[in-house]
Amino acid sequence: MSKPPQSPLRQRATGFWQPELIGIVILIAAMYLMPSVLVDDFLISKYSRYLVFGLLAMALSLSWGYGGILNLGQALPFGLGSYCMAMALKLRTIPVQTGADGLPDFMVWNNVQQLPWFWVPFYSMTFAIVAGIVVPSALMGGLGWFMFRGRVTGVFVAITTLAMLVVVNLLIIDQQQYTGGFNGITDLAQLTIGGIVFDAYNRTTFYLIASVASVVLVFGYVLSCTKFGLILQAIRDQEGRVQYFGYDVASYKITVMAISAAIAGLAGMLYTIVMEFASPTFLNVPLSLSVVIWCAVGGRGSLPGAFVGAVLVTGMQGALSESKTFLDTWTLVMGVLFVLVVLFLPSGLAGLIGQLLAKIRPGDGHGQNGTVDVKSSHPKEIA
Amino acid sequence: MSTHLVVRDLAVSFNGFMAVNGLDLTINKGELRCLIGPNGAGKTTCLDLICGKVKPTAGSVVFDGKHLETLEEYMIARSGVGRKFQVPSVFRELTVRQNLEVAYCRKPGVWTNLMRGPQNDDTAGLEDLCGFVDLIDQMEAPAAYLSHGQTQWLEIALLMAQNAELILMDEPTAGMTVQETRKTAEIFNRLKGRHTLIVVEHDMGFVKEIGDSISVMHQGKLLAEGSVRDIETNPLVREAYLGSGGFGHA
Repeated sequence: MSKPPQSPLRQRATGFWQPELIGIVILIAAMYLMPSVLVDDFLISKYSRYLVFGLLAMALSLSWGYGGILNLGQALPFGLGSYCMAMALKLRTIPVQTGADGLPDFMVWNNVQQLPWFWVPFYSMTFAIVAGIVVPSALMGGLGWFMFRGRVTGVFVAITTLAMLVVVNLLIIDQQQYTGGFNGITDLAQLTIGGIVFDAYNRTTFYLIASVASVVLVFGYVLSCTKFGLILQAIRDQEGRVQYFGYDVASYKITVMAISAAIAGLAGMLYTIVMEFASPTFLNVPLSLSVVIWCAVGGRGSLPGAFVGAVLVTGMQGALSESKTFLDTWTLVMGVLFVLVVLFLPSGLAGLIGQLLAKIRPGDGHGQNGTVDVKSSHPKEIA
Repeated sequence: MSTHLVVRDLAVSFNGFMAVNGLDLTINKGELRCLIGPNGAGKTTCLDLICGKVKPTAGSVVFDGKHLETLEEYMIARSGVGRKFQVPSVFRELTVRQNLEVAYCRKPGVWTNLMRGPQNDDTAGLEDLCGFVDLIDQMEAPAAYLSHGQTQWLEIALLMAQNAELILMDEPTAGMTVQETRKTAEIFNRLKGRHTLIVVEHDMGFVKEIGDSISVMHQGKLLAEGSVRDIETNPLVREAYLGSGGFGHA
């Protein structure tokens, strides 16, 4: 095999300006430019919501696209984060709604006499923000500990996470006196930090979300570039093989699950700020499964891909369900779209872009992460 | 030469079937030991037992004075045991370079790797390794693009990057051309002395080229042990391979 000395496959493709990073930079620029295009405050609020979903999908892309963990309960950390923020904002309404020594209004209706102990620390906004990240992360990390130490893999992980989501969802609905039950926690104060009020129909909230999303996207990118990220991809590829190099696979999977949950919790807090309430629907099964679809459409192997996937799908859902022509058929249209994506774009839109890039620059073989389609019939298991 | 690996009375039962039954094996430091035997003799299972993929029902595996039989797979790997599987198992979606970087695991902990870039301190070393197994032109190609023989070599290179003291090889030349097999023999002869190797192999030509000593397994037990010449003339081995004994024999 005599090849020319500078074969393209020999050149290092892991420079700083990866397609993935370029995608993130474009995405961040687009987010900050959006308010100058959208003039309507209602639209701004709507797009803030879509960005939050983008964040949620990106979190799943870390655990699913990189670590190969199909977590169907991704809405669970999201919902918990959202409740943490809602509890803190609810406590701030007490003086107005029920008097200085009162309780949150729904507790009064449920004849609760004293503020439950787990509500008390939420008087502190700092505590609430920390809890909104740490509680979901610890819960999912703990669940991961049980699953991955017990060597639960594949479809059983999906079932376990989904079941956990349903359990917590039912628990929240059932404990109406402490959680507001079906109605959730409504009628919240607006978040105020350092004199800045984050009104849902306001550009400040949009910029808050865009800024958090930017930081988290860059964080996710850096994470995927570390050796940790590389080992995660190796685990996704051949889980059984990695441990024979001395890596404790379970602790890697637990860690990525916890990080993914922390980001989802952060997204949940932002969602409460945008929606101005928290509800059990934030951690229900349909939302949780939607996150998987967003990831699949955008490309689970790509962080900006998953983010854009969520924004596109939720944006389209919004547009279709509000248009007169598709009023009755919009779910059908979305369904057909998903089927087409799954059939023809196994690595999502990001994969499509990667293939196009590879065509434009034929020298640089393999596009970005997740675009290498090697799902051939080659036996994957270890004999 | 000091003993490196001592296997005593090793046994494993798969639902009553004794795949390995009272196996004894002693291997010296830096030795290359070939493990041969007819199909179903328990060779692969023996490697599985040493590297922790299968837990023994009885017996002990002592490596460097350390008991391995109760340890988790990753702890066994950290003690210095590397394994090449029969079906070449590399990370097909990662590039050759990334494969080697995963295998190069001086610090396997989660926290250290969260703080580190993917490139390790010994990039030149990894390139040398790639040159060694003729994969230097494919370094940035996904492993999925490699041919079967190249995939086998990549996995051998992974074990070298891992720098395991004890390397377990399961049929490293399976599916290779004659030239590839010769090249593999060359690689193995270079590994000899630096690493302790156990090689499961069917190709007797290859075994003759690399083996100092051979252990023959039959029905989960050690049947014979010795140099190539000893084994070739051993009537028990002949019988086991030709199967003149039939059921219940030996």
